[in-house]
Amino acid sequence: MYKQLSRPSKIMGLLGATVLVVTACASSVTPSPTSPAPSTAPTAAPSTAPSTAPTVAPSIVNITPAPIPAGPGPNGGTVVRWFIGLGAGTQPAQIAPEQAFAAAYNASQKNVYLSLEIVDNTQAANILKTEVASGTAPDIIGPVGVEGLNIFRDQLMDLAPTISKDNYTFNGVDQSLVDFFKLGNNGATVGVPFAVYPSFIYYNKALFKEAGLPDLPTKVGEMYQGKPWDLDALQQVAMKLTVDKNGNDATSPKFDPANIVQWGFDSQYEDNSARAEDAWFGAGSFLAADGKTAQIPDYVVQGEKWFNDGVWKYHFIPTQAQIASALLGAGGEFGSGNLAINESHTWFTCCVAPPKPAKQFNFGFAVNPLVNGKITSPLHADTFSILKTTKVPDAAWTALKAMVGSADLLTTYGAMPADKTKQDAWFKSIDKGFPGITLDWSVPQAMLAYADVPNHQSWMPNYAKAKAALQAFQNKYRTTSGLDMDAEFATLKTTLQGIFDEPQAP
Amino acid sequence: MKKRQDRVDEMSQSTVQQKISGTPIGERRWHMNKNRREAFWGYVFVSPWIIGLALLTGGPLIASFILSLTDFNLVNPEAVRFVGIDNYVNLASDPLVRQGLLVTFKFAIIAIPVTMGASLGVALLVNSQRLFGRNIFRTLFYMPIQIPLVASTLVWIGFLNTKTGWLNAIIGMFGLQGPDWINSEAWIYPALTLIGLWGIGNFMLISLAGLQAVPTNLYEAARIDGAGAWVMFRRITIPLMSPILLYNLVICLITTFQYFTVAYVLTNGRGDPNNATLFINLDLFHEAFRDNRMGYAAAIGWLLFVIVLILTVALLGFARKRVYYAGGES
Repeated sequence: MYKQLSRPSKIMGLLGATVLVVTACASSVTPSPTSPAPSTAPTAAPSTAPSTAPTVAPSIVNITPAPIPAGPGPNGGTVVRWFIGLGAGTQPAQIAPEQAFAAAYNASQKNVYLSLEIVDNTQAANILKTEVASGTAPDIIGPVGVEGLNIFRDQLMDLAPTISKDNYTFNGVDQSLVDFFKLGNNGATVGVPFAVYPSFIYYNKALFKEAGLPDLPTKVGEMYQGKPWDLDALQQVAMKLTVDKNGNDATSPKFDPANIVQWGFDSQYEDNSARAEDAWFGAGSFLAADGKTAQIPDYVVQGEKWFNDGVWKYHFIPTQAQIASALLGAGGEFGSGNLAINESHTWFTCCVAPPKPAKQFNFGFAVNPLVNGKITSPLHADTFSILKTTKVPDAAWTALKAMVGSADLLTTYGAMPADKTKQDAWFKSIDKGFPGITLDWSVPQAMLAYADVPNHQSWMPNYAKAKAALQAFQNKYRTTSGLDMDAEFATLKTTLQGIFDEPQAP
Repeated sequence: MKKRQDRVDEMSQSTVQQKISGTPIGERRWHMNKNRREAFWGYVFVSPWIIGLALLTGGPLIASFILSLTDFNLVNPEAVRFVGIDNYVNLASDPLVRQGLLVTFKFAIIAIPVTMGASLGVALLVNSQRLFGRNIFRTLFYMPIQIPLVASTLVWIGFLNTKTGWLNAIIGMFGLQGPDWINSEAWIYPALTLIGLWGIGNFMLISLAGLQAVPTNLYEAARIDGAGAWVMFRRITIPLMSPILLYNLVICLITTFQYFTVAYVLTNGRGDPNNATLFINLDLFHEAFRDNRMGYAAAIGWLLFVIVLILTVALLGFARKRVYYAGGES
């Protein structure tokens, strides 16, 4: 019944199949890979906030500026394109102030015309990469944290010569923060200090009160319940605050780990990686001083073992499944009211509580505990950078200075000013968001002196891939009990070495 | 021979028509016969799609092939170099590409039969004369496909949660402990298949159309001959539905090899647990947009294209002997 097909028929058949595959691939019923899911990061958080847990619906913002014809801008100035989206700045509430800032700046002078390009935070890095690849990159990017700077490291302009030529002074900013942005190739300065986010302890005062526990120390060196405020003290109090459905805490022999309803401690939104959640255990790098060899810093080994035991042995730190559960706000752990202590950065004030918290609670700040006799406060920082492809570096620098100096932009981004003289005003602006709660701002100010050097977000070869490996490590121990952590560290080191050895960008 | 005879007949017919109309043949040489005229207008009407395909799909296809022969890096575009077939050679030794293909094939083996079976089963259900409120059920089964995949996946994450998810709560009612659907390397594939079942509305609808096109007199004749429901299903429904089933199968195969969004959302784009959801498309995405190696990612894209093409051609070749076309083989 079935005759042999002729050669033309076979060719046509093959062609038909090809067209079928091509067209089906092009207009598939399932979304294509170029439409990735939104990051579930708290979108109110600044550039340095990791993309992890969902608490606030992601903003869908794409404002493409009206194309400006070649030549000067409407105010007669050189057009400088400002790309917003890598970090803060894409929330609906932030867009109007950004536009107002640009409008006021453009009206205030005739040398530079600032043109905004605001893109959705979840797509920003990919959009910027595409613009760089197609030769249509903007002039200024930001606010952007260390992570974003690492990704675009090869594209950033060294600002040091410009700063020197302009005799630019960093008013009210510590030199250590100025040096912090020597993050480019060969130590190039790729940003000027704009906002800082030291980390410290957030704790739920209502849960402490309920458990009959005193408030945590707010001064470095203060004792807690007559003992030094250190790792052991933190673990003890966290276990007291971990409670099962029968009301037994994790120090009780009757405690039921299968039915926990309240947890003692976590480092929420900390990048989901060993690199970030352990950063308050000490400072170091996964890259040895030779710039080639992978290493696992001692503080990471200590920290991850502590976290692993906290999850599986003592149960005061939640597992991944528990974090994603409704009990912990599907990722919004502290805001759920069921997490007592959280170690996080200043930017976390954005996300302490969801818009309609299940439980109203009072919260406070406390200093980080001593680990091995030392305090470490992992630091995040935001800046604005100029891309080296800019054709208008002088105009871009002029605009960048105005942006860094703007108190309005600091307020818009909820960013703690790097300039100490502006910090009090910022504290007051945040306090307004928490009526009835007294926040001790001396805590973050004090923690700035204990910043992690080298910073936990420091560059590594094949940065994004190395970071993903660290995230996979963290996910594994948070989802798997009984791991041989030493063996896992050995595997991680081998994995990182493989990633570091891969060919770099040409 | 037959085709030549057809052409002779057509020419004769044309000549006769021209003689009738009184127009000299030489003056109307450009005039098309009916079949050609239909074909001409057919091409005119599909030309927007053909032009679109050539420009918007064909152009990027060619561009991606050229890119696959370079080391084009997204954030360092000026340093692009021609590397010949190096990217394709490297594919063979890349463990992540191997893992991506393995994951994709594993998932395809589980998901395609389940999706095909479930969509046909649901189509049979909502086609049944005995089902009360058929239109309501048709709507309900189709409705999930209207929900954006990202949103529905976020809902599924909650549904499958070990601690507070409804599925494990339901399993718990029977005294059993539900698995960790999302974080277990063993259970993640059933979980993804389950999520996929929520979106079978399109396949169901196509199958339903196919079922309704089966002539009822065939069933009546079979019933008179004493055939039962199963025999009628096997001997009438399946053969007559076979072109529809083939279409669904090919599309299902292609979409399975394009699987991306659910895996991306479910695991924050990382391929957790332990690369168990590192589908080949996710690996491609990592290479292109995380690691900026667009040239290498393009090579992965072409590898995927060739694999899907081979599978599709094999499927169509197999189907030649298994699929029944009422109008004869075309």
